[in-house]
Amino acid sequence: MIRKAKALFTAWLSHMTIYRAEIIIWMLAGMLPLIMMTVWIGKAQAEGGSTGGFSSSQFAAYFLAAWMSGQMTVAWVAWDMSFAVRQGTFSVKLLRPINPFWEYFMQHVTERFVRYPFVFLVVVVGVLLVPGTVLVKQLEHVVVYFFAIILAFIIRFLIAYCIGLACFWLENATALDELYFVLSIMLAGTFAPLEFYPAWLRGLLEYLPFPYIIYYPAQILTGQLDWTQMARVLAVQLLWVGVFFVVYQIMWRLGRKQYGAVGA
Amino acid sequence: MIEVQNLEKHYLVAEKEAGIKGSLQSFFKRQTKTVKAVDGVSFQIASGEMVGFLGANGAGKTTTLKMLSGLLHPSAGVARVAGFVPFERRSSFLKSITLIMGQKQQLMWDLPALDSFLVNQAIYEISDSDYQATMREFTELLELEGVLKKQVRKLSLGERMKCELAAALLHRPKVLFLDEPTIGLDVNMQVKIREFIREYNQRFNATVILTSHYMADVTALCKRIIVVDKGKIIFDGDFSGLLETASPIKIIGLQLERQLSATDLQSYGTLSSLEGLNATFRVARSEVSQRSAKMLSELPIADITIEDPPIEEIIGQLFSRAEVRA
Ligand SMILES: Nc1ncnc2c1ncn2[C@@H]1O[C@H](COP(=O)(O)OP(=O)(O)OP(=O)(O)O)[C@@H](O)[C@H]1O
Ligand SMILES: [Mg+2]
Repeated sequence: MIRKAKALFTAWLSHMTIYRAEIIIWMLAGMLPLIMMTVWIGKAQAEGGSTGGFSSSQFAAYFLAAWMSGQMTVAWVAWDMSFAVRQGTFSVKLLRPINPFWEYFMQHVTERFVRYPFVFLVVVVGVLLVPGTVLVKQLEHVVVYFFAIILAFIIRFLIAYCIGLACFWLENATALDELYFVLSIMLAGTFAPLEFYPAWLRGLLEYLPFPYIIYYPAQILTGQLDWTQMARVLAVQLLWVGVFFVVYQIMWRLGRKQYGAVGA
Repeated sequence: MIEVQNLEKHYLVAEKEAGIKGSLQSFFKRQTKTVKAVDGVSFQIASGEMVGFLGANGAGKTTTLKMLSGLLHPSAGVARVAGFVPFERRSSFLKSITLIMGQKQQLMWDLPALDSFLVNQAIYEISDSDYQATMREFTELLELEGVLKKQVRKLSLGERMKCELAAALLHRPKVLFLDEPTIGLDVNMQVKIREFIREYNQRFNATVILTSHYMADVTALCKRIIVVDKGKIIFDGDFSGLLETASPIKIIGLQLERQLSATDLQSYGTLSSLEGLNATFRVARSEVSQRSAKMLSELPIADITIEDPPIEEIIGQLFSRAEVRA
């Protein structure tokens, strides 16, 4: 298994370095939190230094952490699968003695290594640009964040994979993928910290996976949660991983019978 | 090695009439139709056998191969390959088969083929020594020298096909499903690929099912053929058997020493062509020896050939007969 992972890692790494231009474009598309950051900082300054209890530097810390979390959890597997199923290349993956799930998973993990240096650079620049920004208060938070962001990535990947599996039934799953994309932008905490959402929506969001992908990891990194709250976040994340893993298993079993192996 | 019983595959196809009206109709009431792409197919193939799958476009050949390699879930019937149920996708099953479909790429487009080979080595858990031995053999047999290190997208179609073939056989599968492996290749390359498949079959005692629209592929490689039409098997047996059952005639070709007229030749059989000194006759199989003897004794003949009609024609006749029976 380690050998397989290593081989996939090596191959995809050389693949990714060819596509570094595309990777940078995707990243720019994910710039929304940074844009929202300037919007909210502007608002805070116009209102005499803070708005809704957030100061400029607090906004900066939140949105930089949110942006980083978004970047570290990106998953485009739904789009890839939809394409592969229609092109017939998914059949090639199915012929190999490895579940395509792991192949896509490794591809995504590998890409993080190309992406992270850029992300880190942007975050450092961001912190320097807004005076007084404290992204991390305690080193322990970085450690918890590390686990939280891994779980967040797995949740997001599993959701995307399930959307991708929907093309076994639908001809094209990209519409579903776009719907999910819009929902996640609105509900994960990309536009604003969830403190600014209406109370009823916040209550509802607790029961959805979205805040656990961006909002809560960002809160953990910036030290807004105490230890019990952090433990709760990790537990809920684990729960979502479990839920989507089961959904994935069921969809995989049923979907394979539907699969038409078109092309060729 | 391969056992197939009453295998069926039905596709549900949405039917929509063209135009707005059709779209509206299908929106409210989806019209679907079941296509029986494979309709109750049974056969057995022994280990080491090479079998040719013949049939017109859409006969169900590819669909059958996809079920045998575990891609498609059979609608009915059972298939067993190397003792496994293909659809279960057991790791040891997948390691013992390969499916090659036209030019479907398993090679990574932007990297040299060698990189894809290394991924396959890891995924199929091939030991370094086996990998090197196989690579040496394949490089020699397929003349891969110098091709492996070029980016795949820069290779010619033939070079790419050779690399695809090598990648698909790197794990030395015991069962090969080859779906039109020579499509789009020039005659030279077709011969090379064919030779390679024969060599592979002999070295590893591999079982092979081959589909091709190039009859030469099938006649060169397969003793046994299975002819499929509209999802059903209409012939399964030796090549010679096919010739006897399907084609009651042989073709006698004459090279004459001097020009003769059609009327001179008519009495010797059905004259199918006469061009200059070359004449061809279609003669009932049972009358071939008697007729050719008569020609040799009575006509000024420089050379004589007795041949079966082209295999395409025989298959065509088989189909039209299946039509009549249906
Ligand atoms: N995924 C699919 N959905 C619906 N119909 C399909 C699908 N795949 C194949 N068919 C239909 O099933 C029939 C058999 O197709 P198949 O590809 O097995 O034929 P084939 O014998 O391989 O033909 P060819 O020589 O053209 O490759 C065809 O009528 C085809 O249109
Ligand atoms: Mg076909």
